[in-house]
Amino acid sequence: MKFSSEMAYKSADEMMFGTAKKPVKTKRGLVFGGGHVIPEIVPHPRPGSEKTMKSLLREYERANGDALERCVIVGHPQLLIENEHIFQMTHNPKWGGEIAAQTAKQMDDYLQKYGLKAAYRATPADLRKPDMVDMRDSDYTREVIESFAECAKYADVVSIESMGGKEIFDHAIIRNDIAGLLFGQAVLGGIDMEWMWNQIVAIAKKYNCIAGGDTNCAEANTAMFMAGGFLSKDVPHTLAALSRAICASRTIVAYECGATGPTKDCAYEDPIIKSVTGVPISCEGKTSACAHADLCGNVIAAVTDVWSNEAVEYHDMFGGTTTAVFTEILGYDVAAMNASIDLGYQKEFQACLVNSDKYRGCHGFMLSPDNAWQIGKALVDNNESLYSRGKAAAMKCGELMLGDPKLKLSVFEKESLEGYMKDMKALPDKEADFIDMCLKKYAKVKGFQPKAYGL
Amino acid sequence: MKYLTDYSNIFTRYDLNIEVARQAARKVSKDELLQKVADSVVRGDDEESAKLTKEALQKKSPMDVINEGLIPGMNEVSRLWDEGVYFLPQVILASDAMNAGIALCEEAMGKAMDKKGKVVTHTAEGDIHDIGQVIVNALLNANGFEVINLGADVPVDKVVEACRVNNPVMVTGTALMTTTMTAFPKIASQLKRLGLNIPFVCGGGAVSEEYVTSFELGIWGKEANQAPGMAEDALSGDNWQAMRGKWNG
Repeated sequence: MKFSSEMAYKSADEMMFGTAKKPVKTKRGLVFGGGHVIPEIVPHPRPGSEKTMKSLLREYERANGDALERCVIVGHPQLLIENEHIFQMTHNPKWGGEIAAQTAKQMDDYLQKYGLKAAYRATPADLRKPDMVDMRDSDYTREVIESFAECAKYADVVSIESMGGKEIFDHAIIRNDIAGLLFGQAVLGGIDMEWMWNQIVAIAKKYNCIAGGDTNCAEANTAMFMAGGFLSKDVPHTLAALSRAICASRTIVAYECGATGPTKDCAYEDPIIKSVTGVPISCEGKTSACAHADLCGNVIAAVTDVWSNEAVEYHDMFGGTTTAVFTEILGYDVAAMNASIDLGYQKEFQACLVNSDKYRGCHGFMLSPDNAWQIGKALVDNNESLYSRGKAAAMKCGELMLGDPKLKLSVFEKESLEGYMKDMKALPDKEADFIDMCLKKYAKVKGFQPKAYGL
Repeated sequence: MKYLTDYSNIFTRYDLNIEVARQAARKVSKDELLQKVADSVVRGDDEESAKLTKEALQKKSPMDVINEGLIPGMNEVSRLWDEGVYFLPQVILASDAMNAGIALCEEAMGKAMDKKGKVVTHTAEGDIHDIGQVIVNALLNANGFEVINLGADVPVDKVVEACRVNNPVMVTGTALMTTTMTAFPKIASQLKRLGLNIPFVCGGGAVSEEYVTSFELGIWGKEANQAPGMAEDALSGDNWQAMRGKWNG
């Protein structure tokens, strides 16, 4: 695997929602990053429907079908449906495959009957919890890989939320330990992703499926949600932002292994990824309030190519079922973005999105296109190792947060950030030295198995 | 790109409005050395806590070091957290520091210190998202409870068996996914059948109050930091109905 060594975009100014340097086309004619934004709906089954394959198939038939139907009812021209596997769908790989086959058939029917262009993304669950199984050699590992093969036969896109380094991350995030984040997210996460993604890309190629992308949901999103909104006292927002910058070093590995996007929607690091790779990205913000709260509801859409809702459980609402309702909302969101593109107002629209949240909090600030690009640049300029580029991305992120007086930080947040910067400066320069240090420091962390990462 | 100079019509930074003034930890021990032990806990410095505990054990009994240094230090940390001065990582680091000292005291005593009571914790079968449980464990431990940690992806039968064997004051369940939280009513049902009316606190991710209060024994835990208070209630003899009445609804 070759580390990225140059930026796909010469400047942040070049980056715009709807257009990617490397667009991706599906078999039913959707083009991600081809000039317009595409909505992505993520239905989640109700508790109890997971009991049998039959009941789960029926649940997804209705949930995915309602989304397709609502597109036709209100005139949305395109839709990407993602099914993030629940445990049972990956634990029984045939289940995930059957659901993919069923949804593909529904999409073919809608294309034939109405001309609706839709695509299906299957996201097997990464069942491998690092402190419980050998990441490379366990029944769960085999089920995940088998699940990709079952789904890739029918899905347009496959993705995953991989778990590498989670055992170290969980230990570190609640201990203010920036070295642990660098080791867990950038180093272990990156190593595991290379191992996993070479296999995913090969499976996708075999079945003529698109290898979408990965997300650091298990770690950077955990940090972001623990940091929470304006009332939380769990994790400093500055630490969550550094965690996000660090994770770009591992998430980008998917694309360095041959994944093409559309990236995974809950990877809030995707604006950084797009600046470096040019792949089409999927993002979520205000329309994912059904799943969680964040402080970057609009700014995260500024350079996105696909606009998602994260996940919504299938239920009735006054306006129809949740999947129908959220498909309608997502579709109207992208209709406004696409209208701005066709009117030539996209720069103005983008400025409104950015001004909404750039200074609302640390995440909105660092993921604003200008700062995301600078963090991406730090990453490629320091690409000697997973560690060096992760640390450089975090240092740049910290410098940006400390350097812009419009980003208001509480005394605690500022002092915490200055402490992390000091800690990072004191870390070894070379990855080998850093790994040696971490193998000793984290030897007693519950379930940490260096050999599962080839260390 | 054009930027606003005034964002007051766009968002309000409530966190800055409610920022709590810095305050120092209070003195908690009359003995100078034990105060240093407590201070090391307040700072979350496990190496210093171990060093000072060893020093204190030369002159004091292990129980004095625990009761007049380590635990008062941890109580001070809890106060600072309750008042919004400390963040969670500072509490976890303080807990690590207290535990480092307690381990040395227990070694000196030749037995484990008495805990307030047992709490069985687990993350639901099929669910590996256990950071909420990790925090619950640390907070319960810091507040003097013995945690029977069953870990993540735990089958229903294993949780029930752990409750039968340990007879805890409380059991907790964590789940991120709605499709894994369906294990909770099964656990509650089996506990009832065995006559084990143990308050069963369930929380995490998509776990809702409506769901947890739909089955007997269930009490919804909104935040991990409620766990010590709930365990205190269970320890004091509150049954699940009383706890549900206090914490839910």
